[in-house]
Formats: sequence, C-alpha cells, structure tokens
Amino acid sequence: MAALLDVQSVSKAFGGLQALSSVSFTVGAGEIVGIIGPNGAGKTTLFNVVTGVYAPDRGRVVFQGEDITGAAPHRVCKLGAARTFQVSKPFAALTVLQTVRIGALNRIPDMAGATAKALEVLELMGLAAKRDEPGRALTVMERKRLEMARALATQPSLLLLDEVAAGLRPNEIQDMIALVRGIAAGGVSVLIIEHVLEAVLRLSGRIVVLNHGEVIAQGRPDELVSDPRVIDAYLGEAYSLA
Amino acid sequence: MALAWNLAAGYAGQFSLGHSLFYGIGAYASTVLYVRLGLTPWAGMFVGALLAGVVGTLLALGVYRYKVHGIFFALVTLGAAEVAKGIADNWAFIKGPVGILLTMQDAPRDFFFLRREPYYYVALAMLVVMILVSLALERSRLGQFFLAVREDEQAAEASGVDTYRYKTVAIGLSAALTAFAGSFYAQFYLYISPDTVLVFEPQLTMMLGTMVGGAGTAFGPVIGSILFSGLGEALRNLPFLEGTRQVVIGSKMVYAVLLIVVLIYLPGGLVTLGQKRA
Repeated sequence: MAALLDVQSVSKAFGGLQALSSVSFTVGAGEIVGIIGPNGAGKTTLFNVVTGVYAPDRGRVVFQGEDITGAAPHRVCKLGAARTFQVSKPFAALTVLQTVRIGALNRIPDMAGATAKALEVLELMGLAAKRDEPGRALTVMERKRLEMARALATQPSLLLLDEVAAGLRPNEIQDMIALVRGIAAGGVSVLIIEHVLEAVLRLSGRIVVLNHGEVIAQGRPDELVSDPRVIDAYLGEAYSLA
Repeated sequence: MALAWNLAAGYAGQFSLGHSLFYGIGAYASTVLYVRLGLTPWAGMFVGALLAGVVGTLLALGVYRYKVHGIFFALVTLGAAEVAKGIADNWAFIKGPVGILLTMQDAPRDFFFLRREPYYYVALAMLVVMILVSLALERSRLGQFFLAVREDEQAAEASGVDTYRYKTVAIGLSAALTAFAGSFYAQFYLYISPDTVLVFEPQLTMMLGTMVGGAGTAFGPVIGSILFSGLGEALRNLPFLEGTRQVVIGSKMVYAVLLIVVLIYLPGGLVTLGQKRA
C-alpha cells in the first residue's frame, strides 16, 4: 500500500548548518508516527519542509501520491495535511469560533456550514464553552487545543502536531493523549513531534529518532527504548536504568 | 473613503500609506474622461474604480511577491503614491501641476449640481453602500480570510488561506472603492491637481477617522470621520485661533492628542466604548 506521506532523502541547510541530511520516512494511513530527538535535531525544520514553509535543498515530499516538494503552505493544507505550531499562533483578536471557522471555510465555502463544522470540532476538543472568547484570553492548554481544532477543521487526512504536550501539567498530558487517540480513531493519521516522552511513547505506533538532522533509528517504541544509539543520543541514563 | 482604507488596513492588516494614489486615479479618471471624451463622470467614476483596482492589484502583486511586510509595505505604498504625483506633475495630457478646472453647471446627468444638497445625497448613498459592503464582508468567507491574514500570516497559511492572494484582493478592492471618493471630490470641488488629490492629506484624515473610530469594524470609521469633520468645523470657529495657519496647526495638535488618548485608553476605537461598559 502506498504511504500517505512519503519523505524521500530530504536535506535542508541554513547557511553552514545542516539542519536535515537525507531524512527518509513514511506515514501510512491511520498511523500515529512520533518524531523525537534532542533540541536542534531538526524536528521542527522537518515539519516546515513537509508543510511547505521551506523548500528542501534536496529530496522529495510526496503526499497522497502527489509531489508537494516546496508547495505553498496553504496548498499543502488544502491537500489534507494540517499542522499546529510549537509556539501556538492563535488569531489573538478573533474568537475561538471565528478561528476554527477559518479552517473550516477551506472545505465548506458557506458560512453556515463552516460554523456548524467549527462547532462540531470545538465540541470534540472540549472548547465549545469558550467559543466566544478571543484567542488571547486562553490558557496554554486551551491554545494548544485551539491550534488542533483549527487544523482539524480543515478536515485533514494527516495531522502534524508540533509539541502539543510540552508545557502541560501531568493531568493535562493525559487528556491530550486521549484527545490525540480519539482523533486517530476518527481515521486521521498523525505525525507528532514531542519532547514529553511519555506522551510520544504511549501514542505512537512507530517512532523516528532524529539527531543532528539525521535519522539514527526508527521502529516501535518498545524497540527504541532499549536501542543503545537512541539512549546515547537522547534518552540518557534515566531511561537506561529503568 | 475611511471605510475603503479600513478594508485593507482594518480587516486584512495591510497598512497602506499610498491610498492617495487610488484617490488621485479616481479623481483624474472621471475628470479626464469627461473633459477629453465627454464621458459622463457617473460612468467615469466606475472606470476610475476599475483602473485603481487594477493598479492596486498590480502593485500588491509586485510588492507581496518580494515578501514586503508591515512597515516596509507602508513605506513602499507611500513611495508609489509619490511616484504617481511626480508623473502627474509632468504629464501634459492631464495638465501637469496646473490641474484641471471643471465648470460649474447644472447638469445632473453629468454629475454636476448647482446646489450642495444633491452632492450630500450622493455622498450619503456612497456611505450607505460602503457600510453595506463592509457588513457583507464581515459575514463572508473573504472577510474571515482577511482577518486571518491580519492576525497571523503563517497561521493563516497553515489553515489553508492563500495569504498572497487575499492580501492582493484586499488592496485591489480597497483601491477601487477609494477611487469613488476621488471622483466625488473632483465633482464637488470642480478642481483637481496633483497638489490637491495626490497628496497625503486626505489619507491622513481617513486614517485618523478609522483608528479613532475603530479599525476593522463597519461603523468605527464612520463614527471617527464624523467626529473629526465636526471637530474640524468647531475648531475653525474658536475665538483664540486667528488666521488659517493657526487653525491648521491648532487642529492638528488637537487631533494628535485625541488619537493618542484614544489609542491608550480604547485601543479598539470608540466603537468599543459600548462594549466595555456592558
């Protein structure tokens, strides 16, 4: 079966810094794939290349059989790959409903239909009660949920989540894990960058480990936590002892 | 006119300082077409709007192509307006710096009236149309996308909004609507020249009106503009201001103070006054 997302030997340099070198991996339909790696490993750059913020220097990005290498971000979104931002970017002056409706309007051109879709997503994300609040009035957790709601409202087949658990309290992390599971159960594939290992280990069916812009390992979570290269690069002694 | 500028700046966040360019195009298009070809300004003003829309769109396409943002966008538009004034000053066909004088006459079919009242009704009709356009925009997909572009371009793109396209549409639309105000000016004052319609002054008034009244709303610019024109009249009659020069300087000081006070205490403009109390 052809993969939903097929990243082929992607390289990207910023000046002398090789942010990504020949990174390849796939995301299949219905899969949750995690990307981990230390700070500066190239995780967010990888997201930016996939979603069209940057064009790669070399390599190709194929989404649903279509070459989207270097396509504009709005086109990538229209094709069905929606993302959140690590540093959440709410539409500060717009209400929660307006924000999510803008996402929905991409597939549903009429306002009434888009409003209905937005309310449905807000219900799913537990933000329905906040629908008339402006984006700037939300807490960190709510902003992350708003980011996800806006992305989901575009009705993606692939959702790219950039650090949605970072900065959350332990009980909020549990809620977030349940939410992402619920989204995946609804038939949306998920590619997730995460620093909170617990979240990524519990969620992902497969994990890609990046270090210095290279894929140093990929596999099932239980395989990776015992892989000496991964422990060395990222997990550290706490996990090797556990 | 404040409402037209508000379309681009208030809703879509594209802060243009070059709207005198579109104002001037409107004024010149309807006037030149009438003087040279005998085309009634009623039709000429639509030609002017079309022309301004095309110029605005081309300008936006070029400027946004090179990813010019925010303050630099404002500077480029200001520059474009200055260039246009330079061209007009040196273009014999439209009488250069001398300007074009229209004859006062009673010809309603050609947008000339002897009395002032008909002009007021035309202006009122334009205002109503502009308010309706703004309200329709607020309720439309286009308007929602404008807001997304204003709030955060990167997030807008990630939500599937083609920011390049919608910024261009915002400028083009705003330019076309501004041109109507320019045509109206020409018919009302019966004299246009680069020094009256291609200068920064009318733009300043509409920016003040919009910001004090409330940018990004349908009624804010209206409230603000009414306030400023009323204030202008009131200040003109103050006893301690003598001579035109004092009135001009004095009123500018009052405007500046008012703008600062409003921006500090009511950043959303006067339209938010009711909402805050509620």
